[in-house]
Amino acid sequence: MNDSLTPSLAWVNGSDAPELASVDLGFMALTDSASLIVAATQGFAQPYGLHINLHRQSSWANLRDKLVSGELHAAHSLYGLVYAVQLGLAGPAKHMAVLMGLNQNGQSINLSRALQYAGVTTPDALDRRTHQSDSKLTFAQTFPTGNHALWLYYWLASQGIHPLRDVDSVVVPPPQMVEHLQAGRIDGFCVGEPWGASAVQQNLGFTLATSQAIWPDHPEKVLACSAEFAEQYPNTARALVMAVLEASRFIEESADNRRSTAQLLSAAEYVNAPVGAIESRLLGEYDDGLGNRWHDHHAIRFHGDGQVNMPWLSDGMWFMTQFRRWGLLREDPDYLGVARSVQQLGLYREAAEALGIAVPPSPMRSSQLIDGKIWDGSDPARYARSFKLHALSDATLVHADR
Amino acid sequence: MLRILLINDTPKKVGRLKAALTEAGFEVIDESGLIIDLPARVQAVRPDVILIDTESPGRDVLEQVVLVTRDLPRPIVMFTDEHDPGVMRQAIKSGVSAYIVEGIHAQRLQPILDVAMARFESDQDLRAQLHARDQQLAERKRIETAKGLLMKMKQCNEEEAYTLMRRQAMSRQQKLIQVAEQIIAMSELLG
Repeated sequence: MNDSLTPSLAWVNGSDAPELASVDLGFMALTDSASLIVAATQGFAQPYGLHINLHRQSSWANLRDKLVSGELHAAHSLYGLVYAVQLGLAGPAKHMAVLMGLNQNGQSINLSRALQYAGVTTPDALDRRTHQSDSKLTFAQTFPTGNHALWLYYWLASQGIHPLRDVDSVVVPPPQMVEHLQAGRIDGFCVGEPWGASAVQQNLGFTLATSQAIWPDHPEKVLACSAEFAEQYPNTARALVMAVLEASRFIEESADNRRSTAQLLSAAEYVNAPVGAIESRLLGEYDDGLGNRWHDHHAIRFHGDGQVNMPWLSDGMWFMTQFRRWGLLREDPDYLGVARSVQQLGLYREAAEALGIAVPPSPMRSSQLIDGKIWDGSDPARYARSFKLHALSDATLVHADR
Repeated sequence: MLRILLINDTPKKVGRLKAALTEAGFEVIDESGLIIDLPARVQAVRPDVILIDTESPGRDVLEQVVLVTRDLPRPIVMFTDEHDPGVMRQAIKSGVSAYIVEGIHAQRLQPILDVAMARFESDQDLRAQLHARDQQLAERKRIETAKGLLMKMKQCNEEEAYTLMRRQAMSRQQKLIQVAEQIIAMSELLG
């Protein structure tokens, strides 16, 4: 970790100017890409002499391939995608870098109207439906090793449903979820907004659980690049982090700023969804489509005085514990070592401090998840083995203590 | 297959070169007309590489080459029978990608053209980066101007002016620079 405290002085001297005049940044059509789109279009990178070219991607796999090949310099990424590439879970391994967190919360698990009409509107009813019926339900998530697979698995398992045995899983790119639900090809999906709200507003489905109900203030999207890029162009990477940090702070400065962010996102070239579908949950106003409305205290957030943007080591490690839990990793990785190499704490610290944004003293944070378990990053190998429902593929299991 | 536009106004040399290039498997388009038509010819023929002689056209062609490079970038390879470092330096400074000295043999062409293509691509990247930097600076100046105008109009501070401009831009699904241009235009109109 780099504890240098003098980056702002270097900026003044002009010696830290970005090596590149422009960066190619990939994103998916999701509400949680907001800080990147605001940074790129509202002049937040200009003071650093950096131009951000936005490139919307049609699928996470496509975004991953372009990030690995270098066609994109950096991208809006799933934590799970970055660590899967780092560990070589679904193809050749490549050293990756998480520059900063982009958001917490704001994903949801939604079911079809058909299930609602069959009376499946509660976790208990879903449990009965999956265990008492011969036909398996099909749930869509967004990427085999992605966050949404892991949120879906975690939530189902917390309700006593084994995600790999009791239901079928398919992968669908986010903007196509609603269409597949409507066509009856899937019974439910886990995805980022606005696609959950969109299903509710079109009266095609209802929200059964929000991701923040699984883990309040959970890590979600990150700004990622290859480790090679971060090493080769450190000043460009830092300028990019600073621009996105300022855009994140700007979005949260007022309700008016959040509303105009929703307007911007709804444009055809960004999320391409009605502003109504984006704005409500961006402002924390939830309607589950079953008649329940509430203001969510853990709705999507982009900055939280830097709490959201800190590349916590414990956040990165958590995704590896879930890969282990579900058999994607056949043995324990060096959890801490891998997280330390991926999470760019030193670079983030320089960028945040130059902007007067507080950097937490510890790289670990502690949270309680929906099943009552505490995750604080202290013993990842034990944590990964501690779940009652799992798909651990080795024989050396210690007792599950759920 | 690489398509090569071969330019020369000294027929003797073209004859030899063309044979060598064709033998090496390139598609050669022979251009022996007036050099002043070069930009138009490049546009019409769309060659992968332009091969020209430095010797007879001299400085005027070099100037022409620069123009061609700017409007419709192509790797340019120069050849000459005379080894003149001064002319070579001048040519490379003008955007020429590679330089062939003395006689050309068919088997030597491919690596030279490969180098020319590779070097051309990295030159293009550099040029795009420089262009982005220039544009960046110009946009920043316009935004600064608009911010100043807005501060005067609304009697507000710098940060408030930025927030107003950004909110307006976002609500209209526009970029900050677009709103800055609108403010400047409006201010000019109202005098």
